Amino acid sequence: MSEGGTGSPTPARRRSGGRRWLDRASPILVVLGVLGLWEFGVRAGGVPAYLLPPPSSIVQRIFADWRMLAGHTWVTTGEILAGYVLAVVVSIPLAALLARFRPLENALYPLLVASQTVPKVAIAPLLVVWFGFGVLPKVLIVFLICFFPIVVDALIGFRSVPREVLWLSRSMGASQWKTFRKISIPAALPNIFAGLKVASTLAVVGAVVGEFVAADRGLGYQLIVANGVMDVQLSFALLIVLSVLGVVLHALLDLLERAALPWHVSQRVGAGVHGPAEGTA
Amino acid sequence: MSVALRFAGVGKLYDTPTGTVRALEGITVDVKQGEFLSVLGPSGCGKSTLLALATGLDLPSEGRVEVAGRRVDRPVTDVGIVFQTDVLLDWRTVLGNVMLQVEMRELDAARYGRRARDLLRAVGLAGFEDKRPYELSGGMRQRASICRALVHDPPLLLMDEPFGALDAITREQMVMELHRVWNETRKSVMFVTHDIGEAIFLADRVLVMTPRPGRIAEIVDVDLPRPRKVEMRESHAFLALVAHVRNLFVQAGILQGDRHTA
Repeated sequence: MSEGGTGSPTPARRRSGGRRWLDRASPILVVLGVLGLWEFGVRAGGVPAYLLPPPSSIVQRIFADWRMLAGHTWVTTGEILAGYVLAVVVSIPLAALLARFRPLENALYPLLVASQTVPKVAIAPLLVVWFGFGVLPKVLIVFLICFFPIVVDALIGFRSVPREVLWLSRSMGASQWKTFRKISIPAALPNIFAGLKVASTLAVVGAVVGEFVAADRGLGYQLIVANGVMDVQLSFALLIVLSVLGVVLHALLDLLERAALPWHVSQRVGAGVHGPAEGTA
Repeated sequence: MSVALRFAGVGKLYDTPTGTVRALEGITVDVKQGEFLSVLGPSGCGKSTLLALATGLDLPSEGRVEVAGRRVDRPVTDVGIVFQTDVLLDWRTVLGNVMLQVEMRELDAARYGRRARDLLRAVGLAGFEDKRPYELSGGMRQRASICRALVHDPPLLLMDEPFGALDAITREQMVMELHRVWNETRKSVMFVTHDIGEAIFLADRVLVMTPRPGRIAEIVDVDLPRPRKVEMRESHAFLALVAHVRNLFVQAGILQGDRHTA
């Protein structure tokens, strides 16, 4: 072994400065390209603004109405975050319990699936009947829509620990709680983050659905109003704010994931292409 | 000389949907303090079951298993275990993986940290302490997992085909490596393998097993001088032992006389 082992590990391949810059910039370039085509198409084709306004006018509208938009964004963001955090706090411990006690999973899983197959739009009016017109029914819809993907992914994560690792842990005399803390949780994190990311985009949908049904504020409510008066420009402005909201939420989770899982396969430079083959010398 | 691991009339039965299957029958053998015992046999001969019984992760249907004189009725903790797969934790560094043993046992971190680094250096992993497992080759990963099994200085080391997933050349390197480490530490070892040469090279005694049900065919004494060198594999005494063991498999009908493989 003095000569340094059975093969040096493949070094992470460094990308050239130019390629890396292009990698980072390409999504922005695509968005700008689409907007450019849109602007050009609408103007050249003479499409009336009440059907499809050009992006430039939508941007102007966002700036002109920013105070009103900010107010509604604030409301909707609050609903999203409250429902999302509630879903995280309930789902992850539940998944850990289901992973630990198989009979519990057998008993509860069909109910979980059933709860997910009921369309959230269909229960939204019921929630309004039960909980009124305030923030609570919106928060609950966000919770209901986010809950399932997080439970399912976290459950897969907790189950992903290889048998041998658990045996090893027992041979070390570790308690179940210690095994859970030091092995199961970190092992489950990649799957948990996958669920959290899916849920983050669904959370925005949930809040809007809630506001569609019964609300007097929020971006979803304002969208109904804008459609009611055929203000297509405002509708587009609201859609853009909503999608930015979703993207920002998703991006925050992405950052968190990168910070938490620097070791994971999805974070490796040139993952899957230049990495060393697993299990070979 | 005291006994590190004892099997006394051990049998193991498994219930399957099609009836009861006997995996082991009448296993009686002692691993003495400081002895290296290889358990050799084809797949399905119950050698891994034997190891599971030694760890207490599985319990015998008949007979008794003792570790350091105490009957095994729950998972044994005073051991080091190496599996066929290295089962390193992806999120820990190489050193962190070795130190898992120390953290789980709540041993003194500073003292065993030094020991972990010494062990890693001894197996040629100096400079790799802060790398993650995915940055290592298969052989290096298995070396790290051997360090993890040794860091708490267990009296007994249990190894379940630890080199089974490695290529032939790496495997031979690892055998030399293990022999050197064992020669320096003289731990009691039960080493499960399906490789005849490997089993003989490393061992004081080779327990040869035949399958269905898993029985002892013979316990072969390996009377070769130590420390053993690579060239010894070509020596007359070594080849005679290989031929003897191979003949046991031929007699058991596992190998055909003219179609043998090692």
